[in-house]
Amino acid sequence: MAAADPIVAIRDLTKVYRQGEIDVTALDAVSLDIASGEFLALMGPSGSGKSTLLHIIAGIDRATSGECSVQGVDVARLNESELADWRNRNVGFVFQTFNLIPVLTAAENVELPLLLTGLVAAERREMVAAALDLVGLGDRARHLPRQLSGGQEQRVAIARALVTDPQLVVADEPTGNLDSRAAHDVLEILASLASRGGKTVIMVTHDPKAASFGNRSLHLEKGRLAES
Amino acid sequence: MTLGGYIYRNALRNKRRAVLTSGSVAVSLFLFLTLQVAKREMTIPPEDAGASLRIAVRNKISLANTLPARQLPAIEKLPGVVAVMPFTYFGGKFKDDDSLGFAQFAVDPGKFRQLFGEAKIPAEQFEAWRTTRDACIVGRDTAKRYGLKVGDRVTLIGTIYPVDLELKIAGIYGGTIDDTNMWFHHVYLDEAMGNWGRVGMWWMRAENAEVVPGLLTRINALFANTSSEVRAETERAFQMSFVSMWGNISFLINSICSVVVFTLALVTASTMSMTVRERFRELAILKAVGFRRHQIVACLLAESFLLASAGAVVGVGGAAWLFGSGAVKGLTGGIFPSFELTVRIASMAVLIAFVLGVFAIILPARAVTRMSVVDGLRAVD
Repeated sequence: MAAADPIVAIRDLTKVYRQGEIDVTALDAVSLDIASGEFLALMGPSGSGKSTLLHIIAGIDRATSGECSVQGVDVARLNESELADWRNRNVGFVFQTFNLIPVLTAAENVELPLLLTGLVAAERREMVAAALDLVGLGDRARHLPRQLSGGQEQRVAIARALVTDPQLVVADEPTGNLDSRAAHDVLEILASLASRGGKTVIMVTHDPKAASFGNRSLHLEKGRLAES
Repeated sequence: MTLGGYIYRNALRNKRRAVLTSGSVAVSLFLFLTLQVAKREMTIPPEDAGASLRIAVRNKISLANTLPARQLPAIEKLPGVVAVMPFTYFGGKFKDDDSLGFAQFAVDPGKFRQLFGEAKIPAEQFEAWRTTRDACIVGRDTAKRYGLKVGDRVTLIGTIYPVDLELKIAGIYGGTIDDTNMWFHHVYLDEAMGNWGRVGMWWMRAENAEVVPGLLTRINALFANTSSEVRAETERAFQMSFVSMWGNISFLINSICSVVVFTLALVTASTMSMTVRERFRELAILKAVGFRRHQIVACLLAESFLLASAGAVVGVGGAAWLFGSGAVKGLTGGIFPSFELTVRIASMAVLIAFVLGVFAIILPARAVTRMSVVDGLRAVD
């Protein structure tokens, strides 16, 4: 599973959760390379470990053993603060439930990660406008999340993920709460991010249709990898 | 958008809760201030300009025991004494008034200005009082309360002394820290009592502050081993001994204040815990996009401060306005003549609000710092 120019290199990655007296193995010695500009779909039944793998790659969870290197950085070696900075610069997140801040407008939600960058307000506004235009919501910048449809909310979440121009975009069931039309729009945006924008997109999904938008699909079963 | 704007909007996210939280802080701080100012009024009565020179001489046994009027010439002869005046609390009842009413004192009008020179009264009214044995002067607040005016005749029914006094109002004074009292001739009381020959106590004025300690010693020594030993003390000491009759009022009020603040701390901590619990997923997202723990805690702390500060502004501002308007004086029938909100007491309330702001966020902040992004996302999803 070696990629020519891997942005993500995973070797023997294992994650074991402790649930009371029982150890539950979520990932079992997974090895994987993901190329730059690739749109990878991670599939598998519930509890197969696909979200855990995504979280470790994105630096929001830590492996029990093994290596996970993203853009040459071994994320396991970063402390909490370094990891936070690293995520801000290198990873964009898209979640199933959009997770927009309800008291902020679409533009302000997108601007949120930029507050940590030290950019001046004018620069931030410019980048927010570009990100919203990219997802086709330039005219909804001043709308609150409750004034948007589910599909629009998810597109705002994608704009938030892109606004810091990260190389890696991770999406956990991004179409899980959307109707087929809105899901199609979101998947097209994610696909174009990889094909035209050169981003590396890793998406967890249950839906084979959604997975078909990717360049490659991987199946996880009981914490082990099976490429399809 | 700025982080400040984000914090402000978060604080007002649930407007009803924000208003109720700030309102509970405001009401509690107002209650705290009211109790603290009342305690100060009771335990440290306000002093006027002449207080440092005034000396109270009372019976050593107790304030309820009187002194012989014949002590006057002996006290007057002491070096450093400017004036000595008899001073007897009459404690009469006015009309059918069942309230605390107002205090009446029998004094020597000829010495009154030297002892209590702060009272502002037209010269002709003062002169009319000084030269008429059955005349009295009444404080402006009492005159207003009972609709009294110069020339009216009033009857005081004795409750301590077995005599009723018919008095004519010769003047109305103001400008003192307590414009509720009535002053009349001691000789009139003495006559009514059948040349009684006693006084409640003596008030005297010293030449300057330096001679006061020596005078206290000499007066006490002067009547030592007589049938009427005295205790001479400064006005402040006299007031404090008077206050001691209330019992441990400070302890009582401080206990109530502690309960108020403790209850308030629980309420605000509970509110902030709820607020943070409802936003666990959002806070996890903030962490995911790069916010550090201390940045998130700082945002929550600022939000907590904002709500506590809003309560402090309303509570302390409201108290400053109400106490400053003199309404308390009217509401309490003059029991608290000044009811002054001092900078020290107001600062205590503001400090409590700030401490509350910090206290309320301790447990939620602990939960947030311990929360991993994954756990935060799972908490709701």
